[in-house]
Formats: sequence, structure tokens, C-alpha cells
Amino acid sequence: MNRRLFVASSLGALGLSGCTSRFKDSLTQGPFRSVLTSAEKLNGVVIGTRGMARLYTDADIDRNFRVNGLDTPSDTTYTGLQKDDWRGYRLVVDGLVDHPQRYSLAALRALPLQTQITRHDCVEGWSVIGKWRGVRLADVLSLAAPKPSARYVVFSCFDQDQQGTHYYESLSLGEAAHPQTVLALDLNDAPLDPRHGAPVRLRIPTQLGYKSAKWVYRIELAKSFAAIGNGNGGYWEDQGYEWFAGI
Amino acid sequence: MEPSLTGKRVYRHSIAARLTHWLWALAMLVLVMSGLQIFNAAPYLDASDKSNPAKRVLAIGAREPAADPQHPVGIVLLFGHPFTTTGLLGYTDDGAGAKTERAFPGWATLPGEQDLADGRRWHLFFGWILTLSIVVYIVAGAIRKDLRELILRPSDVPKLLPMQLYYFRLRKEPPPHGTYNPLQKAAYTVVLFVFIPLIILTGLALSPGVDALAGPITAVFGGRQFARLWHFTLMTLLIGYFLTHMALVFATGAWNNIRSMITGWYVLGEHDGVGP
Repeated sequence: MNRRLFVASSLGALGLSGCTSRFKDSLTQGPFRSVLTSAEKLNGVVIGTRGMARLYTDADIDRNFRVNGLDTPSDTTYTGLQKDDWRGYRLVVDGLVDHPQRYSLAALRALPLQTQITRHDCVEGWSVIGKWRGVRLADVLSLAAPKPSARYVVFSCFDQDQQGTHYYESLSLGEAAHPQTVLALDLNDAPLDPRHGAPVRLRIPTQLGYKSAKWVYRIELAKSFAAIGNGNGGYWEDQGYEWFAGI
Repeated sequence: MEPSLTGKRVYRHSIAARLTHWLWALAMLVLVMSGLQIFNAAPYLDASDKSNPAKRVLAIGAREPAADPQHPVGIVLLFGHPFTTTGLLGYTDDGAGAKTERAFPGWATLPGEQDLADGRRWHLFFGWILTLSIVVYIVAGAIRKDLRELILRPSDVPKLLPMQLYYFRLRKEPPPHGTYNPLQKAAYTVVLFVFIPLIILTGLALSPGVDALAGPITAVFGGRQFARLWHFTLMTLLIGYFLTHMALVFATGAWNNIRSMITGWYVLGEHDGVGP
């Protein structure tokens, strides 16, 4: 061990790091936190969901697509549907809409399908390129005809974490209407597997991976998401991550 | 190397320059610490458009030696060459007093404990502080014409080597110069107009939203994953600049230098000039 390493580890051993950590955590969790989080609104306005995510070619595809977020659901409703090859699965579109919808997987596949080879950017810093095929969310929403009071699209997902917290996500109507925002059914020319969000997963390549909710069974148009979960608009948002995940 | 002061006081730094200097100094500190926190979530850097272990430049992790699995060691892999860094990198303090597998230790990150969500909150807020304070610093400097004094000009280039020789004590006198010597000008010019703009741009290049909005920003750095490597490299260069800056602040009259960045007034030394 050289001298610098020795000094650094001695500081740690003296408990100095614990001390500075407490100070730093008090700054993060104190009243200053609302100042810090204000940057999210600014980023949402400045960056937003404009332009088109870059499209890649077949040669760029990662055949072994890394899994993000939670792994395979253990939820019994989910595993039951999966065993039955998703025959009983229905995607519900309801809430503030004029024409609520219920889609079987076959009905979803009967809609126009979009294929995109895009990069999935994980908030952790890694990225992976995959070929997605699915239905444009804009098409599904326009068939349901959202009411003028609808402002958000909330996705309910199968599964919950070990604490029993349900997994969900939400987008603004503008983000949902982006032409590359799709309800993905296939990844790399095969139906989605459970680890990647089978049978239906949101895919929004203009934002970080955690926005692309897996195992979607309900799409609800809502005025606000304040009453859902801890009120931050998604499972990861309730853990402190930004609702606007374009950066 | 304490210079003999002539005693003549000059007003060197405007209020805008002083305020923004300290503001972006603070922003840099927060950005480095929260950046290391963010790095810890994926402690490797790839020279590629996407994650690609075949093009891994740097990886920091821990390994359990077969002979002694109870005592993991921290390992840094730089271009595939392993370095043992237990305690400092790879196997370090978790921010709460225990040792764990973790790239950068708790004392160096913000927050101290591993918390990507909060690290991002700090980073994305202070990214704005850095950007805005640099813009104000440059605009104010341009309006007051202070900036002319610290930008490297072609006529300064032949003086770079003599100045370096003077620093190495291989030359008795520094070349005649204005407010800042040619090496200072070179450093300030590179930091203000190359390193800082590039670290902001490479940061933006990591963002899927910016990639969709302004694809060339990401493309020019070789893609998102490659931009992460540039972003980290620029941080290393800026830390190098900071250490040099500190060494020279202290070597050339710490109190006079620090006071001038607080009150604006600087006492001229024997070799100090005034002007561009």
C-alpha cells in the first residue's frame, strides 16, 4: 500500500468519512432539497421530449439485452396469465377517456406496428441497443379519445417490490404522443420475455430506461398523479428519481 | 517563491468575477463529488456508443482472492492492467463506516452513502450553477474588458517556454508580461474556453433527451457511452488544473492572491505587470 492509499484508508478508519457523510446527507435531506429538485422542471422545459431518438441498424443490436429495473414478477395473477400464454391478458385503457378500451394481445397486434432499433439508456450509466416492435401509444390513446381534462397517462404494472410497493409509471400527454413512444410487444424479433416486461412494455427512447415501464396492464388517463403511490408519478420517482427523465 | 511586493495596490477582480469565481468553484466541488456518486452506479467507462466490455478503458471493482475470500481487495483496471487499490477505490467505505464493494469511497461522494437518485439531484442542479456562472463570468469579463488580460494571444506563445524555465528556476527573470504571465493565460484560456465548455457538452451528450433534440452533440463524442468516458477524462483534467492552481496560489503569496479574489485588490509583486 502506498502512502496516499494509507492516508485515505486511515481517514476512513478514524470515522471522518462517517462524519462528513452525515453532514452531506443533512444537506441532501434538509430544506435545501426543494432547491435541488427545482432543476428537474428547468430540464423538462429546456430539453423536453423533442426531436427523434437516433435509429440504429441491425448490426448494432445487442442480442443479449441487459435487464433493467425489477426482475421477473412473482405476482400470482401475472404468473397465472403467463402460464396460460397470455390468453386471459387484457390491456385496459380507461380513466378520462370517451371510449374506454380493452385489448387482447391479438387485438394489439392487429393495430399498425412500428419497429425501432434504439438505444436504451439506463440511469445507472450503461446502455444497450435493441430492436423493438409495438403499437404507437398515440394510436392507442386516440382510439380511446382522451377528454380535455386529461393531462397524464398513468401505467399500472404487474408486480410489487419486497416491501409490497406497486410498480407504476406516468407520462405527460405530450410525451405519450411522441411518435417513438410505443407499447412494445417484441424485442429483437421475439415476443418480450418476462424479464423484459412481457407481455406489454412501454418503450420511450427519448428518456432514461426507468420510464419504460414493464408488465403494463392498465393505461389510465388522469388529471393528476398526486393520489397514486407516493404522488411522484412512478415507482422510481417515489424513490427520488426525476419524473422528467430526459437527462 | 514569495515575490517581493512593490506595494502598489491594483483593483484586479470585478465584483462579478469574484462572485462567479467562488460560485463555480463551489459548483465544481459539488459536481465532482456527485459525479463520483453517479459513476459508482456503473463503475466502468467504455470507448463505444453503448456499453461494451471489449472496449473498456477503466473499470473499478472488488475481487475476493481465492486464498483469502474474507478480505476482498479493490481493483482498478486501466486498459486491462490491474492495480490494487483497496481502501481508496473498489473496496472502500460505504459512507456509513463499513467497508464494501464500491468504486469511489463515501468521503469522496455526494451524498456519502450510495444513492444515485440524490447524486443526480445534486449534479443536475449544480450543472446549471456551473453553466450560468461561467456564462456570467465570461460576459462580465468581456464587457469590462478584464477578459483581454487572461486570454492567450499569439504574441504570448514564444514566452511560454521562458516562463516555464523561470518556474523551474532555470532562468532568473520571467519574460515581461501583463496582469497574468503567459502560462497562466494558457491555463485560464484552456480551462474557460475548452475544458469547461466540453465538460458541459459531454454531460449533455449523456442525455437521451438531448440526443433526440440535438443528435450531433452526442455523435461528435462517439455516442452516449463514449461521452461518459470524455466527461470523466475532462473531470480528471480539471482536477489537475485545480491542484496546479492551488499550488501556485500558495507559492506566489497565498494571502495576497486569496484577498484579491475576495476584495478585488491585489498588491503588485516585482515581476507583476498590468494589462493584457
